[in-house]
Amino acid sequence: MKLSTEAQSVLEKSMSINKLDDKEREDIEQLIDNMPDDRVLLYKNVVSNPIGDLSRYSIHIRIQHMLLFVTFLTLAFTGLPIAFIDHVWAQPLNDMVGGIGISRIIHRTLASIMIFSMVYHIVYLFWIFIRDITLRQFEIQRSIIPTMKDVRDFKADMLYFAGTRDQRPEMDKFMYKQKIHYYAAAFGNLVMVISGSSFIFPEFWASILPEGAASYFQEMMRLSHPHEALLALLVIAFWHWYNVHLAPGRFPMQWTFLTGKITREHQIEEHFLEYLRNLVELPEERAYLSDLLDARELSPDTGNDTMQATRETT
Amino acid sequence: MLYLIQPAWAFEDDSGCLLCHKYPKMGRITEQGVKRSYQVMPGMFASTVHRNVPCTDCHNYIKQLPHKEVKEGVRCDSECHSIKNPATGKKFSHEPIYNKFKASVHGRDKIETGMDADKPYCITCHTNPIYNPNEEQPPKKIVDRCVVCHEDREFVTDWYKHTSRRIREVKRNPSEIVALCSSCHSDKTLVERHVKAAKKEGRELGKKYAIAVESYDESFHGKVTSYGFTKAANCLDCHAKKDNYYMNVHDIRPSRDPESPVHADNKVETCKNCHIHADKNYADLDPHPSSKKEHSPFRYYANLIYSWVGDIVIVLLVAMALFETIGRRRDGAGWVLHKGSSWWRKSSRKRDRIE
Repeated sequence: MKLSTEAQSVLEKSMSINKLDDKEREDIEQLIDNMPDDRVLLYKNVVSNPIGDLSRYSIHIRIQHMLLFVTFLTLAFTGLPIAFIDHVWAQPLNDMVGGIGISRIIHRTLASIMIFSMVYHIVYLFWIFIRDITLRQFEIQRSIIPTMKDVRDFKADMLYFAGTRDQRPEMDKFMYKQKIHYYAAAFGNLVMVISGSSFIFPEFWASILPEGAASYFQEMMRLSHPHEALLALLVIAFWHWYNVHLAPGRFPMQWTFLTGKITREHQIEEHFLEYLRNLVELPEERAYLSDLLDARELSPDTGNDTMQATRETT
Repeated sequence: MLYLIQPAWAFEDDSGCLLCHKYPKMGRITEQGVKRSYQVMPGMFASTVHRNVPCTDCHNYIKQLPHKEVKEGVRCDSECHSIKNPATGKKFSHEPIYNKFKASVHGRDKIETGMDADKPYCITCHTNPIYNPNEEQPPKKIVDRCVVCHEDREFVTDWYKHTSRRIREVKRNPSEIVALCSSCHSDKTLVERHVKAAKKEGRELGKKYAIAVESYDESFHGKVTSYGFTKAANCLDCHAKKDNYYMNVHDIRPSRDPESPVHADNKVETCKNCHIHADKNYADLDPHPSSKKEHSPFRYYANLIYSWVGDIVIVLLVAMALFETIGRRRDGAGWVLHKGSSWWRKSSRKRDRIE
C-alpha cells in the first residue's frame, strides 16, 4: 500500500515519538508495503473481538461519558414532563419520576453532577494537553479540534456512501461525525447549564445584565432549556444510539464506552491514521497483521492481484 | 359508638320554614328553564358553618308565611340579629370584608345586570363545604379539661370545633386557587365580552387580562403548580397584598391601581416576597409569558427559529445516518459482528472477505 502524504506524516511522527529503531522502522515500512492497496480488504479480513481490540478511551473519558449519560437521561426524564406539560405522556412520566416534589430535587442534584463531569472533562483535557505539549507529542489532527481535513473527509465519505468513491477517507482518531457530535454536546451542555442557572438564580442574572436586557435574556433561556433538551434527546436517540448501537457492524452495541477499546475492523475503517499509530506502538499488532496478510494472501504481490484486476475491469 | 348512631342535630326552626322547605319537590323552573330546588335538609344544614344562624337572620326579607316572591335573596353583608360579635359586642356581620370586596376590581352587588354580572359574588368562591362533624373530634383529654369549668360536654365540643377549624389552614391549595380564578378568567367568551366592552368604553384593561390563565399555565410557576407543587407563586401570591392574606384576597385590584401589588411601583416588593434579591430588572421578567405572535413577537419568532433549527438538525442527521448505512451495506457490512467480522455479506462492489 502506498500511503498518502498525510498518513505518511502521521506514521513518521508516531515513529519519532515512540523512538523506534531502524529495525522496527524497516519492519513497519515492509508491513505497509505488504498491505493491499484497497484498504477495504484490510478491514474486511481482520478478525475483531466485539468487546474491542485496540485502546481508544482512557478510564477518565469513560467515567465522564458514564456520568454525562446517566445524568443527561435522568435530567431529561425529570425535566421534560414540566416543559411539555400539555402532552399526554407528561403526567405519567412525572409520576414515574416521583412527582414534582421529588423530581425537582433529583433534577437539581443531577445537574450539579453533570456540571461536575463537565469540569472534570475540561480539567482532564487541559491536563493531557499540557502533558502532550511538554512531551512534544501533541498532534492537532489527532485531537478533537476541527480542521479543514474534516471537511474534506466529510465530502469524501459522502462520495463513498454514494458509490462514486472507492474508499472511505483516511480519518484520524476523531472523525468528522464525532467532532460534530462532541461540539453539539458541548454547546448543548453549556446552553443547558446557563439556562438552568437562569431558572434557579434568576435574580443573579437580572442583577448582572443591563437594564432592559434581562427580560429578553430570560425569555431566551426559558425557550432554550426545553428546546435544547429535546433536541439533545432526539439527537441521542436517533443519531448517537443509531451510530453506536444500530449501525451495521455495531449492533447490538459497541463496548467502547465500557472497555475503552475499539474493534480492529472499526479502527481501520474509520480511524485508519490512528491504526497506523497502533501499528507503531504495538509490536503484537504488527505481528498479527503481518500473519494475516500472509495467511490470506492479501499483499499486492500475492493472490490479491487477481481480485484487484477483477475490480478494475468492473 | 353511641355518638355515631344518634341522629344529626336539627337546627332551631323557630320560624317554621321547614313546614314547606322540608319537601324534596319544593322548587321551581326559572324563566331560563333552570331547575331550582328550595328544599332544606335539616341534617345537612346542621353540618354547615351557618348552622347556628336562624333562617330569618339572613332571609330577613321574609316577614310572613307563606312569604312573598323573593326578589333579591340573601346578601352577605346583612347583620345576624341572633349572633353577636364577641369582640365588639355588635351584631355579627360580614360587612367589613364585604365592603373590602366591593371596593376591589371584583366588587359587585348581589343583583347585577350587564358586565358586572360576570363578576364573582361571595358564594362564587365561598362554596361553604359541608362541615363533617366526624372530621375532627376533640381529643378526650382536652374536653375533660374544659368541662372542669364549662361543665357541658356538648358546648365544649362545639366550641372546640369552631375554634380549631379557624386555626387550621382551610384556605385553598395553590392548584385550587388557580382553578378558582381560571373558572372565570379562562372563560374565552366572558373575557372577550369584557375586552370588547372596555374597548367600546375606552377603558383600560391589564396588559395580560385576555391571556392571564393561558400565559400563567405556560409559565414555570404555572406548570409546577399544576403538578401540585405548593411553593411556586399562584395568582393570589402576586395579585393580593401580602400583609393579611385573608383580608387582601378580597381586595384584588388591577395593575393600573397604585394599591395593586403588581402595579409598576410595587412589583419589586411583590417579587421580593419570594425572590428576596429581586431588583427592578428582575421585576421586568414576564411572569405571564406567551408564545403567541400578537402578545410577544420576540418569543414567537425565537420559538419558531428554535423549532425549525431543531427539526432540520434531526432530519439532516437521520438522513446522514441512513445514507451512511446504505453506502456501507452496499459494500457488504452486516448488522452484527459475526465470527470476528461484520463484513460477511457479499459486496456489490466485488470485494469480499476471504473466507
